[in-house]
Amino acid sequence: MGGYGDIQMIDENGLRVDGRNATQVRPITIETGVIPVADGSCRMTWGTNDVIVAVYGPMEAHPRKIQRQDRAVLDVRYNMAPFSTSDRIRPGFNRRSREISKVTADALESVVLLEMYPRSKIRVEIEVLCAEAGTRCVGLTAASVALADAGIPMTDMVVSVASGKVNDVVVCDLNKEEDNYGEADLPMGVLPNSGELVFLQMDGDLSPEEFQTAWDYNIQAAYDIHKIMVDALKTGGAN
Amino acid sequence: MAIPMVSKLLRNHLHELALNDQRIDGREQWEGRPLQLEVDVLERAEGSAKVTMGDTIVYAGVKFQLMTPYPDRPNEGGLMCGAEVRPVAGRNWEPGPPSAESIELGRVVDRGIRESGCIDVNSLCIIPGEKAWQVILDLFAISDDGNLFDAFALAAIAALKTAIVPCEKFEVGEDYPLNVSKIPIMCSYHKVGNRFVYDANSQEELGGDERIHITLGEEYHVHSLQKGLKGIFSADEFAEIMERAKIQSSELRKLVNTVLGD
Amino acid sequence: MKSRLVARPDNMSGNSSADGPQDSQIVVPGENLGKSGEYEAGHGVVITNDTLLATKNGKLIIKNNVLTIEPIHTTYFPRPSDLVIGYVEGCTNNIWFIDIGAPFNAILPMSLGPSKASFGSTRQVLDIGESILCRVQEVEETHSSVVTMKGMGLRKINTGSVDEIDPHLVSYLSGNGKDLLREMKENSDCRIIIADNGRVWVDGEVSGIINARNQFKDLTQNYRLIEDGGNI
Repeated sequence: MGGYGDIQMIDENGLRVDGRNATQVRPITIETGVIPVADGSCRMTWGTNDVIVAVYGPMEAHPRKIQRQDRAVLDVRYNMAPFSTSDRIRPGFNRRSREISKVTADALESVVLLEMYPRSKIRVEIEVLCAEAGTRCVGLTAASVALADAGIPMTDMVVSVASGKVNDVVVCDLNKEEDNYGEADLPMGVLPNSGELVFLQMDGDLSPEEFQTAWDYNIQAAYDIHKIMVDALKTGGAN
Repeated sequence: MAIPMVSKLLRNHLHELALNDQRIDGREQWEGRPLQLEVDVLERAEGSAKVTMGDTIVYAGVKFQLMTPYPDRPNEGGLMCGAEVRPVAGRNWEPGPPSAESIELGRVVDRGIRESGCIDVNSLCIIPGEKAWQVILDLFAISDDGNLFDAFALAAIAALKTAIVPCEKFEVGEDYPLNVSKIPIMCSYHKVGNRFVYDANSQEELGGDERIHITLGEEYHVHSLQKGLKGIFSADEFAEIMERAKIQSSELRKLVNTVLGD
Repeated sequence: MKSRLVARPDNMSGNSSADGPQDSQIVVPGENLGKSGEYEAGHGVVITNDTLLATKNGKLIIKNNVLTIEPIHTTYFPRPSDLVIGYVEGCTNNIWFIDIGAPFNAILPMSLGPSKASFGSTRQVLDIGESILCRVQEVEETHSSVVTMKGMGLRKINTGSVDEIDPHLVSYLSGNGKDLLREMKENSDCRIIIADNGRVWVDGEVSGIINARNQFKDLTQNYRLIEDGGNI
């Protein structure tokens, strides 16, 4: 969060730097089965974000001490490729990717029927090839599509989207400039069929009214994005 | 990388196929898989390429950093090449620090590019002894169905060829395309069922023996060689694959030139 | 199941399940398949708050008032009496560990092995890396399984080749596509055994094995055409 800046991010017509209005989401494409050797996979582009997710398993959990006798272990790894941002990232696990991996796993564990696969492990590999803003949302959304593609049973798919505040205006789906200079960011993970939440983070400064607006924007956007996900899975299966 | 168990039946079958001049996926002995090369695929990289060889898919991305030249070579910039095969690429690739296999991959590709002299390190120097460019080439596999070496090498040279030096971002002048004078090409041969074949897939890699990687530059100059895995080969066998490498590297170089529009 | 608290129900119009579930439609996890009562929940379907819910991405099959989902992709899970092809992955003095393509290795005890093995000489009977045709004897709740080689036609595989095919093709070729399989056997002049874990043993002349492999490849590509009722 860059705090209040002089940069004007919203013009007099309420349009944003990339021409969107406050509730509009960046263009999204979803493709399944992109990694031939994986059990399930998904590539999601969301604005300039380009994220690939592979799912392997269920397989035997190694080493034995990580096994759970009553359910499967969800092994989620979020990673940014070295060339995914404007400054190169040193390869390897860092604190940020470890935290995102954990919250993504926590969100997915709420919907995946893990108790059907005791002692096994399901690997979810999230690789960010190109990052703009909101990669954790793209990663979580793409991961649920990839899990569905792998035939892992789930009670619902998670749709994740973030809203925030820029120049005192609440907007949906922050892009890179808005993320850098904005005043707040509220990523949420929504279950579109019930409207419940499995993932929630927030940083910045929002009044109760702004918070409610951002919340409503997210729920509406999640519903729209869910249609694209369903479409990708239905046509991916038929063609 | 976890080494999977090798089925004896697979080894026997590969031997039988070789005796009948056949391969497990129906290719000829020296035939490669369908190859696709795309460039400028990654928005945030200064140069990038994606290579699809059958079911093997890799990316290469080039980034630049400013560095202080080494005291013994004040007029030179740097080239760094790293290969990462993350667990996304297959069920046998494991998380954690780079495995010996991915380090070998990176180093072999690195040698081929470095030794061909396709990048003039002196031209990367901005102020002698103070400031120079470091070219960082990152290789990234997302699907491993065998022969990552050739896929990486091809993606690497194509990414370098399309790289733009980001001077404006670092406030040291105007952007210009990175000067890559040559196109070194790697060709890999695996011994499968007692004979060498070109561009082995994962089944052939699993049931095969040693592999040999040859990087050839312009006019068939040899820039790097590597023999990997357990196995014994004769001078005659090597001479044969060398001749094949000459033909195949020329074809691949033509492809790179076509894709780059030269 | 717990009752569901809805964040902002006014924003979430429910899925239209007015037409009820339709046979052969593709469903996705979380999809509402209508009220329970009329239908029972089969594979891939759960009942939450009297509502049928899809949990897998696949084709919905309605048969005898039971809703089941045939997943588009799936991992093999052993069931008792399945015929499977396995690879010996390890052994102890009296047990072999068999990779049957499932999440867990199966156990082949010495007493259920192919011939009389004496304690401590299991490797002389079945060595690591060898392939076997066996049957699943029992599956524990935690998914570990026991296989047996006692039975008609169960044996060590010494010749030919083992390939992997789509699990859907397995059910198709052992169901409606039985004639197709017979035709493949005649065309290739090979013995073809399709195991339930998606592995296929093809034995015969090398040219025949290649012929069969190409036919399987074409079949995988055309499989969805068959499903849509097209001719191949």
